[in-house]
Amino acid sequence: MSKLAYYRRNWQLYALLVLPLAYFAIFKYGPMYGIVIAFQDFNLFKGVAGSDWVGLDVFREVFGMSSFYKALRNTFLLNLLDLAVSFPAPIVLALLLNELRGKRFKKFAQTTLYLPHFLSWVIIGGIMYQVFATNTGIVNLLLGRLGMAPIPFLTDKYDWLLTYLAVGVWQSAGWGTIIYLAAIAGINKELHEAAAVDGAGRLRRMRSVTLPGIRSTIVVLLVLKIGEIVQIGFDRPYVLGNVSVNDFSEVISTFVYKTGIQTADFSTATAVGLFQAVVGIALLLASNYAAKKIDGHGVV
Amino acid sequence: MGRKAKAKGTIAAAALAGMLLAGCSSSGGDASSGAASQAAGSPAKGEQVTLKVGVFDRGNSPAGYTATDNYWTQYVQEHFGDPNNIKVEFVPIPRTDATDKVNVMMSSGDAPDIVFANTNPLTSYGYAKDGGLMQLGQLIDQYGPNLKTYLGPALERGKFDGVQYAIPGRRVNTGKYENLIRKDWLDKLNLPMPQTTEEVYETLKAFKEKDPGQTGGKAIPLGFSLTAASIEPIVWSFIQDGLTDEQRYTLSENLGYPVLLPGHKEAVQFLNKLYNEGLMSPDFSLDKDEKQLFQDVMTGKVGMYSDNLGNAYNDTPGIAKVLTQNVAGAQLVPVDPYTNNAGKHLKPEYDPTGFYLMIPASSKRGAEAIKYLDWMAQPDVLNTILNGIEGEDYKLVDGLPQRIASEETTKRMYNAGDIAMITQGQDFGSDEKNWEAAAASVPEPFRKDVVDAYKMSMTDTINYANFTTPIEAENKYIPALQDKYNELIVKSIMAKPQDFDKTYDGLMKDYMASGGDAIEKERKEAYKAMAQ
Repeated sequence: MSKLAYYRRNWQLYALLVLPLAYFAIFKYGPMYGIVIAFQDFNLFKGVAGSDWVGLDVFREVFGMSSFYKALRNTFLLNLLDLAVSFPAPIVLALLLNELRGKRFKKFAQTTLYLPHFLSWVIIGGIMYQVFATNTGIVNLLLGRLGMAPIPFLTDKYDWLLTYLAVGVWQSAGWGTIIYLAAIAGINKELHEAAAVDGAGRLRRMRSVTLPGIRSTIVVLLVLKIGEIVQIGFDRPYVLGNVSVNDFSEVISTFVYKTGIQTADFSTATAVGLFQAVVGIALLLASNYAAKKIDGHGVV
Repeated sequence: MGRKAKAKGTIAAAALAGMLLAGCSSSGGDASSGAASQAAGSPAKGEQVTLKVGVFDRGNSPAGYTATDNYWTQYVQEHFGDPNNIKVEFVPIPRTDATDKVNVMMSSGDAPDIVFANTNPLTSYGYAKDGGLMQLGQLIDQYGPNLKTYLGPALERGKFDGVQYAIPGRRVNTGKYENLIRKDWLDKLNLPMPQTTEEVYETLKAFKEKDPGQTGGKAIPLGFSLTAASIEPIVWSFIQDGLTDEQRYTLSENLGYPVLLPGHKEAVQFLNKLYNEGLMSPDFSLDKDEKQLFQDVMTGKVGMYSDNLGNAYNDTPGIAKVLTQNVAGAQLVPVDPYTNNAGKHLKPEYDPTGFYLMIPASSKRGAEAIKYLDWMAQPDVLNTILNGIEGEDYKLVDGLPQRIASEETTKRMYNAGDIAMITQGQDFGSDEKNWEAAAASVPEPFRKDVVDAYKMSMTDTINYANFTTPIEAENKYIPALQDKYNELIVKSIMAKPQDFDKTYDGLMKDYMASGGDAIEKERKEAYKAMAQ
């Protein structure tokens, strides 16, 4: 079949691709020309075309800022802790859900666990402020009843860190189980039965059958997570954080917001954003390489 | 997976927002050159043009109204728009974070023809320096005779390097803050009105230990928030007596807080003591808009607090009013107790200017914008907007408008002040009269308190010393320093008493390194130049 005939026959399929491609070109790649303002002394009113070029001066300034390193460190810190706490949580939860006998109760438990995922961080932040407030929050009121001193969950930086992680688990663990449950459903039942015949108890079967069965899923998700470790969502640290805990809550995304939108220093904000993207790609490639070594296949 | 995709999208959005904004603004073009000619070119007769006017949205519109469509926007359209064949379109500017939002508007080219963000000349200066504002001198000469008369010398403050780039509104009452105390709590404990900072401490302690409000241990002796209204009244009161001119000029900053002046550290240490002894709002660092504080006051938990002058008694949010409804016998009265080393009640005072109104260089409605402000500056128009309709909203008593208590009036007048942006308050000729007039707009039982509060707000005031030309380093560093200052305040107050010095000095070093030094250096040079 000649090329022409191939295209003649399949052009509709290619035509279907036009819209999605245009979407990516216009909304994802189009705005990227703005990256150039990281190399400019950007003037709000003169725009990209009219601003002066300054080479790497902006980056020099950024790398000289102590607050930039703090934001970078916190981004790694929060993401690593999240990786340690929030990543295993859905796996454990999926294993537990999988062992539930009653079908109705299982469905109910799953649905209830998904729900927090659909709340926006702004709402979660509002709830968190109410629940954990030092004087009036329900948690501290209960602690008070037990004769304990109130814990400043929101204003002491270490307590805040725990709160941040716990809220993260609460919000995402249930939703995260979906993929694992799907993977678990794909495990051959005979393996379980054979193990049972050989006298393996529940725990043993979880460890020796279910977990190895979803190993590749876990690795793929882990690779994605590690690739994102320098990226951090804006809403969660911004909404949950506050000035008394900014030793931990100031991360790259909030730093970019503050320098970019609040201070109108667009050059610095863009430079930081660009730096973040470059490190992010490097980490993604590195973790993908590692995954290939471990598991034989990666993602990218 | 969905969660991840969302998170990724957010990052992309955050990272790209800056770039997008940057891209759009290029349409603004080179402003200064064509501005005057564009603006002067009035539209042909019969063709209606649209004038966009910014208006603060405080999220407090009564039912049926919005910040952009209410009694006064309709009034403006009817009395100014229709006769001049202009459609006046109001554009909301959120009152909280107004400066951020205006930054975004300016950079995306979406700013209304009359735009404002705050009362700080630095914002206008920054835009003007980058060529983002229209030059207004000629336009005001041509279209603004009433405006010129009304603003008088205040207009000078909108000039940078001799060119008129902004129109500063007038400020009639320059008092800034009020301190309030629960008199019924004092009476119950047989305590006198505190007269010194030391007595404040004793009073707060008594409030906590004896709980006169029967809050069940939930009393907050000193209500506090992370806003200037809570911080400034106390930190300024500690500033030492007898500052030299040089100190005032070189050590005060446009930031507004006396962070470098002698006494500031002692003030923060005082707050640190209150915090550690449980005498002030425990979660003040989360309260960035006073909402929690107001709620605590209105539910009768707070013994003492500070706020923007007049706010406690105003109809909205109606703090004193709601408190007296919630707690029978509650009495919230003004007090002026904080004293410095010389026993003076030092406190800051506003410049006689209000908000800085600007016209973006890209605007094509410069002439209409000035005409609008000029229309508003006519005495009868301004009087109507500020007081409402005679007989419906107010009646004249001794030549002063007295607000009529009616639901319709409360509803109608809720944002009148935000429409009359060329002034903050109405001038009746003397301080005393102005105070009485301010009092006349609040419910009857609070009128005496308002006069007292205004009087106190003007005792032993101190102005910041500002140079006639803006300090370049302030333009660059102040926004970031605002954050640093909040950090300094919060962490120093919340530190353990034995760690206070270490915490405060460390954060102060950080503050100086993040721009504080650069500002001080430039101010010293400017002072030298001025003294010669």
